Amino acid sequence: MKISAQTIVVLTLLIGCASQRLVITISPCTTEIYKNNAYSKADDINRALTKLTQSGVPGVTFAMYSSEGWFETSSGFVSLEDKLSMQSCHLQYLQSISKTYMAVALLKLHEQKKLDLNKSITTYLPEKYSRYISDAESITVNMLLNHTSGIPEYNSVPSYVTKLLQQPDYLFTPEDYLAYIEKKPLEFEPGSRYIYRNTNYVILALIADAITGDHAVFISENIFKPLGLHQTFYRNESNYLDYPNLTQTYWDRHSNNILENVSALQRNNVECLIGDDGIVATAHDAVKFLKGLMEGKLLQPETLELMKAWINNRNGKPEYGLGLDYAMLGGHEAWGHSGGGIGAGCQLYYFPEKGLYFFVGINLGTVTDSPIHKQAETALNELYKAMLD
Amino acid sequence: MKTRVVVLACLFAYSVSAQETPKNYTDFPIIVTIQFHALSLPFKNLKGNFKNVGIGIGTEVGHNKKQTWVTQVGVLWYHNKHVGNGFMPHVQTVWRPTVSDDVYTELKAGIGYLLSSRPVNSWKQINGTWEPVGRKGKGMLAIPVGISVGSNTIASNALLSPFVTYQFMLASGYNTSLPVVPATILQTGVRLHQKS
Repeated sequence: MKISAQTIVVLTLLIGCASQRLVITISPCTTEIYKNNAYSKADDINRALTKLTQSGVPGVTFAMYSSEGWFETSSGFVSLEDKLSMQSCHLQYLQSISKTYMAVALLKLHEQKKLDLNKSITTYLPEKYSRYISDAESITVNMLLNHTSGIPEYNSVPSYVTKLLQQPDYLFTPEDYLAYIEKKPLEFEPGSRYIYRNTNYVILALIADAITGDHAVFISENIFKPLGLHQTFYRNESNYLDYPNLTQTYWDRHSNNILENVSALQRNNVECLIGDDGIVATAHDAVKFLKGLMEGKLLQPETLELMKAWINNRNGKPEYGLGLDYAMLGGHEAWGHSGGGIGAGCQLYYFPEKGLYFFVGINLGTVTDSPIHKQAETALNELYKAMLD
Repeated sequence: MKTRVVVLACLFAYSVSAQETPKNYTDFPIIVTIQFHALSLPFKNLKGNFKNVGIGIGTEVGHNKKQTWVTQVGVLWYHNKHVGNGFMPHVQTVWRPTVSDDVYTELKAGIGYLLSSRPVNSWKQINGTWEPVGRKGKGMLAIPVGISVGSNTIASNALLSPFVTYQFMLASGYNTSLPVVPATILQTGVRLHQKS
């Protein structure tokens, strides 16, 4: 077999392009921030964030809104390689917090009478997707929203995890994710209990696609634009994560306090995720979203109440609504969501008793354990205390 | 998958009834391999099984007259851009029934110590400062299990045995959330027995 000079040139270019995808540039950013150094708890919060980065987390960014107004701050590095400081204007991976946005989109469709939450998912989901789901007829849209469907998890299937790590350039399709649960029985009778499963929100995105044509456009038109979220992005263009102000991300692969840059893997992974993940935003925009939601700028009051119809866990404690997590943080009731990925972790919550919203995001992976997490947890508790006491 | 299992079972069943010692077999041959490594479950993501090449060298010693039971020792190295390179000394017990004078099969299982490096340079916080620590990775106990098919080419004073092997390996202690990770090693190589 002869290989011509042209073939060699083409192959060289292809190899060059493939390697180039892995090069990610990061830069300091300059968008407007709300430092508010006069904020009464600024010192305590900064101290807690410094403790967080001294525990081995590369970088952290924080935004909050309370009766004193906005306060934003950051600590550590957005890039260890470039020794660039984390700033409030750097984009963070919202990971599973994206589920709250997805739920709002579905509830908007419900308000527009385009979706009945109590109908079977087979009413809306094309057969090419529903064929992967056991007993799909017995599952309602509402069950997907509050994780009571019994549909198994796709992202803990060993063959998915190994493929993700070994072939990080592979672009998974929603059908690929569903293929990992094909022929698997439901984990429990639909509606009988709660188990958090990412698969539920992949299916919700596909339902929204079937109704609207493109769920990402629908989210942009019905959430980002009305709230003026100019630094929030979700599948708005091809390679939508190629932003110079998107944080670099790190992973403690072997749980031994050593971090490697997994930005390429993180970016490719998140770029493929739909419904259950995929949104990137500044800390400010994340808080602005939750604040807008709670203040009724996105949904009618009765629909917002549906989001807070908490499902209890096995201990009889409230756990999850429709895309909203019920948590006790620092001893206080909080509504919102947390998120974790291979290279990032975050929390976005509202404390109803305090009228306080906050987002905290780190560029360290939280899906696998690291000794760093334990120390970070202590610092997080200090952060809650600084905010709330 | 079912067809593969049936074919292999027939091959091994037949080979049990036709065992012959290949001529010119000697202990301590040179075994040279080229292999492809992948973090993967067996027979999954097959395209990915051919991407991360490596080399290996080893030898073996027989335990019975027909050389159907042997112990192999060796080291292998592979380059894996995405999950990190690996170097593994290993020892395996091999059951090697022959199918005919020219063709043999193997079932093998053993133990190895996998030194897996990181795919990129890494960082550690030491006294509040981030220090580069290179690609140094982790040592893990590994259990490789494999099947092979090979042939014997007999020369005047040598035995040349090319073979292909499909090995599945479990490495322990990858991290605290993934205590065991699977890998596949697809090998092709040759055993050279040279009579002095």
